[in-house]
Amino acid sequence: MKRYVYINDDEASRQQLYCVNRISNRKYTVLNFLPKNLWEQFSRFMNQYFLLIACLQLWSLITPVNPASTWGPLIFIFAVSATKEAWDDYNRYLSDKKANEKEVWVVRQGIKKHIQAQDIHVGNIVWLRENDEVPCDLVLMGTSDPQGLCYIETSALDGETDLKTRVIPSACMGIDFELLHKIKGLVECPNPDKDIRRFDANLRLFPPFLDNDVCPLTIKNTILQSCYLRNTEWACGVAVYTGNETKLGMSRGIPEPKLTAVDAMIDKLTGAIFVFQIVVVMVLGIAGNVWKDTEARKQWYVQYPDKGPWYELLVIPLRFELLCSIMIPISIKVSLDLVKSLYAKFIDWDNEMIDLETGIPSHATNTAISEDLGQVEYILTDKTGTLTENRMIFRRCCISGIFYGNESGDALKDVELLNAIASSSTHVIHFLTIMAICNTVVPIKSKSGAISYKAQSQDEDALVNAAARLHMVYANKNGNILEIRFHGLIIQYEILETLEFTSDRKRMSVVVKDCQNGKILLLSKGADEAILPCASAGQQTRTFVDAVEQYAQLGLRTLCLAWRELKENEYREWSFMFKEASSTLVDREWRIAEVCQRLEHNLEVLGVTAIEDRLQDGVPETIETLRKAGINFWMLTGDKQNTAIQIALSCNFISPEPKGQLLLIDGKTEDEVCRSLERVLLTMRSTFSQPKDVAFVVDGWALEIALRHHWEAFTELATLSRTAICCRVTPSQKAQLVELLKSCDYRTLAIGDGGNDVRMIQQADIGVGISGREGLQAARAADYSIGKFRFLKRLILVHGRYSYNRTAFLSQYSFYKSLLICFIQIFFSFISGVSGTSLFNSVSLMAYNVFYTSIPVLVSVLDKDLNEETVMQHPQILFYCQAGRLLNPSTFAGWFGRSLFHAIVVFVISINAYAYEKSEMEELSMVALSGCIWLQAFVVALETNSFTKLQHLAIWGNLIAFYIINWMFSALPSSGMYTIMFRLCRQPSYWITVFLIVAAGMGPILALKYFRYTYRPSKINILQQAERRGGPILSLGSIEPLQARTIEEDVSPLSITQPKNRNPVYEPLLSDSPNSTRRSFGSGTPFDFFQSQRLSSYSRNCKDN
Amino acid sequence: MNAIGAASSGGATAASDSSTTTKKNSKKPKYSRFTQQELPACKPILTPGLVITTFIVIGIIFIPVGLVSLFASEKVVEIVDRYDDGCVPRNYSNNKLAYIRSKLTDKSCTRTLNIVKPMKSPIYIYYQLDNFYQNHRRYVKSRSDKQLRSKKGESETKLCDPEGVSANGPIVPCGLIAWSLFNDTYKFKVKNKVLEVNKKNIAWKSDKSKKFGSDVYPKNFQSGGLIGGGQLNSSIPLSEQENLIVWMRTAALPTFRKLYGKIEEDLQANQQITVVIQNNYNTYSFGGKKKLVLSTTTWIGGKNDFLGIAYVTVGGLCLFFAISFILLYVVKPRPLGDPSYLSWNRNPAGHLN
Repeated sequence: MKRYVYINDDEASRQQLYCVNRISNRKYTVLNFLPKNLWEQFSRFMNQYFLLIACLQLWSLITPVNPASTWGPLIFIFAVSATKEAWDDYNRYLSDKKANEKEVWVVRQGIKKHIQAQDIHVGNIVWLRENDEVPCDLVLMGTSDPQGLCYIETSALDGETDLKTRVIPSACMGIDFELLHKIKGLVECPNPDKDIRRFDANLRLFPPFLDNDVCPLTIKNTILQSCYLRNTEWACGVAVYTGNETKLGMSRGIPEPKLTAVDAMIDKLTGAIFVFQIVVVMVLGIAGNVWKDTEARKQWYVQYPDKGPWYELLVIPLRFELLCSIMIPISIKVSLDLVKSLYAKFIDWDNEMIDLETGIPSHATNTAISEDLGQVEYILTDKTGTLTENRMIFRRCCISGIFYGNESGDALKDVELLNAIASSSTHVIHFLTIMAICNTVVPIKSKSGAISYKAQSQDEDALVNAAARLHMVYANKNGNILEIRFHGLIIQYEILETLEFTSDRKRMSVVVKDCQNGKILLLSKGADEAILPCASAGQQTRTFVDAVEQYAQLGLRTLCLAWRELKENEYREWSFMFKEASSTLVDREWRIAEVCQRLEHNLEVLGVTAIEDRLQDGVPETIETLRKAGINFWMLTGDKQNTAIQIALSCNFISPEPKGQLLLIDGKTEDEVCRSLERVLLTMRSTFSQPKDVAFVVDGWALEIALRHHWEAFTELATLSRTAICCRVTPSQKAQLVELLKSCDYRTLAIGDGGNDVRMIQQADIGVGISGREGLQAARAADYSIGKFRFLKRLILVHGRYSYNRTAFLSQYSFYKSLLICFIQIFFSFISGVSGTSLFNSVSLMAYNVFYTSIPVLVSVLDKDLNEETVMQHPQILFYCQAGRLLNPSTFAGWFGRSLFHAIVVFVISINAYAYEKSEMEELSMVALSGCIWLQAFVVALETNSFTKLQHLAIWGNLIAFYIINWMFSALPSSGMYTIMFRLCRQPSYWITVFLIVAAGMGPILALKYFRYTYRPSKINILQQAERRGGPILSLGSIEPLQARTIEEDVSPLSITQPKNRNPVYEPLLSDSPNSTRRSFGSGTPFDFFQSQRLSSYSRNCKDN
Repeated sequence: MNAIGAASSGGATAASDSSTTTKKNSKKPKYSRFTQQELPACKPILTPGLVITTFIVIGIIFIPVGLVSLFASEKVVEIVDRYDDGCVPRNYSNNKLAYIRSKLTDKSCTRTLNIVKPMKSPIYIYYQLDNFYQNHRRYVKSRSDKQLRSKKGESETKLCDPEGVSANGPIVPCGLIAWSLFNDTYKFKVKNKVLEVNKKNIAWKSDKSKKFGSDVYPKNFQSGGLIGGGQLNSSIPLSEQENLIVWMRTAALPTFRKLYGKIEEDLQANQQITVVIQNNYNTYSFGGKKKLVLSTTTWIGGKNDFLGIAYVTVGGLCLFFAISFILLYVVKPRPLGDPSYLSWNRNPAGHLN
């Protein structure tokens, strides 16, 4: 479990206990590439199926066509994916090689040597200079800074762009530069793991650096691989984890590929077609064997032997299996991969989704799941940084009961506060001091003398800046000594301990020593519920509770500040415990929290700060539009309930009373939560049919209980409610909620911007990261990264919807064309003695699948059924995508029927037109093939909603290409179809036949489509008609007049209705539970049902026009 | 209503903003209509006018074309005579197989055909076989194109089993198709004057020049135990054996006609033609019919009413669609794109507030 690293011990490093620092991200080597890649590709069912077919085709007795017609496409498809893999792997190899061969300075036998990064052993001392990249995980030993500090940039590791300070272990403090070469010691650390926030280890130095004390090491003492050393002349450290065992290396991993609902549906349909194919094969196989025995034996010219080999009975079924294998289109995978990567490119390219402030375009990391965007049903969103800008501004404060900033809305301009500062009121001074120094901010002095702050938390940044504006300037940090300028006075504090912020503790404290009078102070800041209970018994906290309440009502983020003077011996005693806790290897975090708690009590609460976090542009409109599109929103935030509710109100998340109603689930014990949950559930059920906007609010504590003990009730609640606000939730709870919704078969989208959203983002069907101020961590983990929340609207309504529509058409069309040709083959077998003859030759079959029918449909990636503007105005249209109404078994049945109908048309017309003296095999086959090609061109044309030049080129150009290609083949004497195509094109009856096929095949389809389009139009059709006619679609807009709501605006009173105070009307439940409604979307129940169920929710949203 | 204005103007400003910042930022993708999915597109919709016009136009074109085709087909004079039953002597009528298999029986048979309408030359003579599966998988593949093409490919008989190799070496032409060559012969007389049957140029020119080699002579043909169909003169190259070339163009349907020869003489109405048939080919074992067909031809080919009838039917159907859609349009007019049909604009309470 533990790893012992002997520092600078060449003996130990030669034993090669641990791997060297050779990074390898490669999946393959030159030798194993082919077998491994093939193995991976063949682990997919489709590929296995095609391989089986291709192998069967090698048996010439049963193959109806040349094996090349399957092997060709199969090898092509395999080659494409293998090449892609190989290229990716080669690039990985190159970047590994670059990293591995980078020259670094390492101490070997007491001398600094320049070696390649890949030769670093565990225990080596590595020297870095400013702006060097860290080659492996190091424990700091020394830096150029006299205080042992160094600054690193960790953006490659966690995406956070601010500088972080790292400090050398206390044991190494003050070791001479020269001596660092000879340092010896032992680092006791855990085995490699991927937690980049934890490193619980110990260090013991050997003589002559005699220090018997075990020195605890934390993540603060390390610099991890891929970080950069900044603002520090040099640093050195001992390598503890190398190669692929570094924290970065361990956290690397290929995430589980996500499967979209569309993909799942296609798989299902493929399975159904496969079953159908087996049935056809069995029926035809039996019929073939019967015919053979009854009829074919009489046909002397066939010369069936009286006694065949043992497998004789299998031959005909297998022939039909091969003949029918084209039913499952081999090209669908390639086509889909191709169009999906194009969808992703469209997202990357979209000019309207570029964050104008930063110039960062949107990016689709996962290119395979664009269709899912159009099928989102639930959006789970983080609040801070996602809905809001995460640009904190200090607005108000309450210091010992006096409210500042209430009138002007800006405490910095409040004359009273400025007066209080000028008069140096003690409370105010203390308050400002805490604002200035109770944090982990690093002041950076630029050459011009201006001070800028590097903060990890936006709140701290806001507080420090506000303090500076209020003349309490945090000027300098020199090791542990802080310097504060107040009205020209320089005050120095020595930081003794920092009790860091964790999401469990919800507060942070520092222990400082006033350098003037030697007093030891504990300064704390944190959430109200984390600070107020620690207040000293005598203090009245009523005013602070009120202040917090009042600020939260305005949607401001509050922090309570408190302090206490420590006795010298109390501190000493505690400090010892703290040190002990900090050097434990197991449960360190928990132990530290416990020790911290022993100090943080009896605090004197000084006041409350209120920080504003403004809403991002366009958030209310985006939420409004997306809610109209039938997407349910859940807000998951770590913030307070009141703040969350206010933000929710201001961004249209919930409606104010009386339209909206908030139901609260609370309680501290299991029973309370259970009761409150049941009450809420009853209300929910009874109001489900009413046009009311009901949302539930739950906090982290109650959620924990609900999820643990009342999973089912909570699941029902989740399916009933369109809106939920979950406050005070932890990252893992966020992920749990995603999991819960996913388990109810909903498509979930999680959007967030910070590290605490990463788990939720990875868990959800679609993860969207906002590349915001909390770093890029979320954006990296996400499938899509966007610059602003408002781009979500476009991402879903435009890109998601188009992608879904296009894929729905493309996939069903692929099946249609494969079935079409397969049905013709099946029909032909009935007039060829059920013997499994192929009507078409191998070349035609291959070209039909991979060329003639694939090219035209690929341009459907440009098809737009509705304008972007129309979709934005009528977001409700997204229902068609959400409910999967364009790709489901019933639409597929339509395509199946169409292919059957077309096959009958083509077959009947060609065998009758080319009967008797014209009934020549090659000619008939080309007539039937031309019929199919013409029909498919018209089918694509009929199903295309918008024709661009490219579409015309692909559809009609393909038709011309068909003739050119076949003329070319007809010119080759060695090909079976020598002169056939020239011969046919000269015959009037050929053209007459082809046009007959087109008219007979398309006429009824056009008539049916027109009838449905005009007399049974879908909503999409209506909008199309309205849009193209330039009709009065604008008047349909049911979007509420947009109000530029801000937090400052007076928020309409909203009472959180406690369920117990309410007399819910217990109406009989609707016979259809919402659950069954939702499920029914997928399976394509009649639209009316779906409409009537949904009507209420539409009208609910559109009512107040 | 505000909202729409706001939304669209928002879009406009965003667009103009982006165009101004394009130069500043190199990370940005280049603006093109393709990348923005804004290629100019024509977006037709199925308006009643468009659809009804389409149907009417199709109907108007198809019905005349169909009538012309029917007329052309009617002009073709065709005489069909089924002789497989009639050519079996009475005493063999219960055992036709024995008759056809016996080498001793007299296979010749005389039939008389009445010319109903005058026939212009050239008159094509076809034999028609029914229930004969030239498209059977075992049969259709049993040939070797390489062998037929040139002498070099003589031994390419892999696909020809079971008629690939004889005791004396490879069979040329090999395979079941050649082996089962049709071998009934016809001799025509009008008023005791022999009608010349031209058997030249009945095969495709391309087949003669490219597919059947002039240096390939029949070899070991029909020399095995089983005799299938006709014999071939082994001194004539395959490219000149046109009956074989015609036979080797396999038919796609179990009922098919193949060209036997041409009569290059006009025949008058009410003339009687005497045909002397050598009834050699065995269709009795599988109940196939044999027919002799004399036919003239037009631009559409032989007599085939199907296309004409189908055209008239489809044309009529289109007109029917057109008329019913017009009626529907008149009886139940439905404005396209009426927003009131959008369910979310309908209020269940009956009023929009």
